[in-house]
Parts: sequence; C-alpha cells; structure tokens
Amino acid sequence: MTMRLPWKRKAREAGPQTSRFEDLALPLVPSLYNVAFWLSRNATDAEDLVQETFLKALRGFDSFEPGSNFKAWIFRILRNTYLTSRTGLAARRTVALEDELNESGASGPAQYPEAAIDRQTPETNLFQLADRAALQVAMETLPPPLLEVILLCDVEEMKYREIATTLEIPIGTVMSRIARARVALRAALETQYKPQREFSA
Amino acid sequence: MTDHLSPAIVNALVDGELTADQLAGANLHLAECPRCTSVALHQSLLKSATAKAGQRYAPPPQLQERLARLASQEDSGFQTPWFRPVPVTAVRSVGRFGLMGWAAAVVLLLASVSMMFVQRAETASAEHAALVTEVFDQHVATLAANIAPQVVSTDRHTVKPWFQGKIPFSFNLPQNLPNDTTLDGADLTYLRDQPVAQLLYSIGKHRVSIFLRQKSGAEVANELVTERSGFHVMGFRTNDLEVVAVSDVDPARLAELVSAIKHAQTGDQQQPK
Repeated sequence: MTMRLPWKRKAREAGPQTSRFEDLALPLVPSLYNVAFWLSRNATDAEDLVQETFLKALRGFDSFEPGSNFKAWIFRILRNTYLTSRTGLAARRTVALEDELNESGASGPAQYPEAAIDRQTPETNLFQLADRAALQVAMETLPPPLLEVILLCDVEEMKYREIATTLEIPIGTVMSRIARARVALRAALETQYKPQREFSA
Repeated sequence: MTDHLSPAIVNALVDGELTADQLAGANLHLAECPRCTSVALHQSLLKSATAKAGQRYAPPPQLQERLARLASQEDSGFQTPWFRPVPVTAVRSVGRFGLMGWAAAVVLLLASVSMMFVQRAETASAEHAALVTEVFDQHVATLAANIAPQVVSTDRHTVKPWFQGKIPFSFNLPQNLPNDTTLDGADLTYLRDQPVAQLLYSIGKHRVSIFLRQKSGAEVANELVTERSGFHVMGFRTNDLEVVAVSDVDPARLAELVSAIKHAQTGDQQQPK
C-alpha cells in the first residue's frame, strides 16, 4: 500500500512537469539559501544547510512522486535539517518554552492588539513599511517559529496548507503564528521609530 | 454594522486564503467599515513589504555551481566515489582548501612533491612510498571534495555494520576516543586495487582519515611514521589488518587516536584522556 503524503498534492505551477532532480531543485537554491540564511543568521551555516538539504533530497528523490509538490518537499527537508543543526538546536532551546506557552488559542482576538495599528498615522505606517532596512531589523527580532512561517507565507508565497505540511504543524497553528508574527513585526517597527517620534515631538 | 473582522479573517484575506463565501462576506463588511478597511490595507502593505525585505540573501555562485554539478552527475547516473562534499565549515577550517581550484592545484603540487620525495627516499621501499602517496592523495581528495561521507554517523555501531558485505574483513572501532575527537563517518574506497575502509574522524577542527585494509604484505612498516608537507602519516599492523592514519593534526594527538584504534583491534579499550 502506498501512503499518500500531504506534500504530494498536485503542484500549483502550470506548465510541463519535469521529473529531473536538476530541473526541479536548482531553481529553488536561491529560495532555500535565503531562508537558510535568515534562520541560521550565518553565511557558512546557510551554505552547509542548503548543501546538506540538497544531498538529502538527491538521495531521497526516488521516494518523491513526480508531479507532486516538490517545493514543499524540499523545504521540509531544509527545515528538518535546520532543526537538527547546531543553530537550530540552540534556537529551539531558547524559544521552545515561550512558543508552547503562547501557542494555544492564538487565533483569538487577544492576539491582535488593535493599538499596534491604530496608534500611528497612515503616513507613519507607510513610511515604516517603505524602510526596507527597518523591516529587516524587525524580522531579525522574530523568534524562529514566527520567522519561518512569515518567510514561507510572505516571501515564498506558500499557501497555509503547504506551510502546515512543511512545518509539520496544524493549519490553525500556521494562522496563529502568522498573526503573531505580523503583530510582532509592527511592534518591532514601532520600537525602532519611537525614539524618532519622541525626538521630533 | 456587523462585528469587525477578526484578525484571522484579515490575515486570511490578505493571504488569499478565504473561501468564496468568506471573501464575499468580508467584502460586504469592508464596504461599510473604514476601520477594518484600514486594518486590511495595512496588513496587505505589511505583507508586500515583508516579501521584499525578506528577499535578502543570495547564494554564492560557487554554491550554485557545486550543487549544479552534483545534480547533473546524479541525473546522468555518474558518481565518482572519491568526490564527496565536505561541509563548508569543515572546508573553511582547513583554510588552504577554500576553493576547489586551489584544492586541485594543491593536490597537483602535493602529488609532485610526493613523487620527488619518493625518488629521493632511497631507504624506503618503492611499494611503501607508493602506498603512502596513495593514502596521502586520498586524504587530500577527501578534504578538497564536497560530498558527505557514504555513511554519516558518529555512532560506531552504525559505521561498522555499514561495511558488512562491502569489504572482505572486519575491524573494531574504539568505544572511547581521545578528548575532542569525534567520528564523522566512513567511506568505502580502494587502495592498490583493494577495498579499504576509510574512517573519517575530527580532532578539533583537523580532519583525520584512517585507512584499514586486509593485510597483504609488508608494505606498511610496523609503527610507520612519515611527515609530508605538514601532514603526518602513521600506521600499524595487526595479524589481519594494515592500518594507516593521515592528518595535519599534531602528531601526538594523531598518535592517541591511532593508539585507540589499535587497542580496539586487540579488544583492549583505552580510557579517554
């Protein structure tokens, strides 16, 4: 009996399907490296992560079903490789407790501080969002569970179901983490701009 | 006016995750609620700004080239057994092997030096020198290549069984290793047309290759110690095995590991120092 794994659903991309590992994997190297660098915060570790992911995918490619969702499959390998890496283990030790405490009921209204949005003028918000460097600094403050979900959702444009499969978490948890990540990003941006506003006032 | 849109609905809206019914309901509400419209607009702007800011790091060209070479080899079904990627951290820790081009040049240079050495070493037998050269080249190729060992494990109970059926002899791995020494994995390789177990260890950041093969002659002198271009080659013989170790680590530390392996063959395990 063949078990149909969740990531093996039909890929959304149109066009002819290819089964060659080279054609499927190489276009994803920039994305894999970008996410690996964000998670490891280190160029050398990012290279190691991508290389190890690539080799694992290469060796396990026989088990991959042609035409299914290769991107979710290889990102899942990257994520699992990261979790067992030195930086991944250190990050998990740091944030695991906090993450578990905040996970339950995260989709409720209490997770969404309205003040984070209403406190500032639309002009200020637009100015902050146009400041790419400020947003990158804000992203750096996110704990790995929130950072990875926002990278997969906003940067890699994955659907919630794909993210859930990649991260091996329920869709509800994906939604709550995305909500928390965006609240945290706004809070971090606000912190960066707060001294400037006080100074100008 | 109905209740405001929940955060989950607003996020799902900007992420394109609402069903048709949910989307219709949300649009109805947004048409008459400036506050929720503002929230949704800001979430949408944040999403697009994050998408741009998140595209921050580009892979180095040499990584892409390396992976492309690996993938093309796999797709063509061609795999060279000696071409194994080493983690970047390991490659960089060796320093002089930062680039593949440099590595190839170093291999050629060392091979030339090795040949000169063999010619001048009048006291060493030709077979002995050839074996040392081959071991030395194999170790350098391992450092310069970029493929993980064929068996990647720090567990001796994983590494040893992996060789079952691959080599016509058996060996033991030490339970206790010297301080700061770890087993990285192993490869099946060939020396002088014979299958050889190449055990890969790290002593600190220095990598060590231990070659074990079935005893076939008097090619490895008992307690062999040779220095070549900063690398040390040392070995020993048992009744059944010839063992050669090569590394650029301090020879005293290499000797500790060699001693541990030697004692493992005789069943006399050493305590870690």
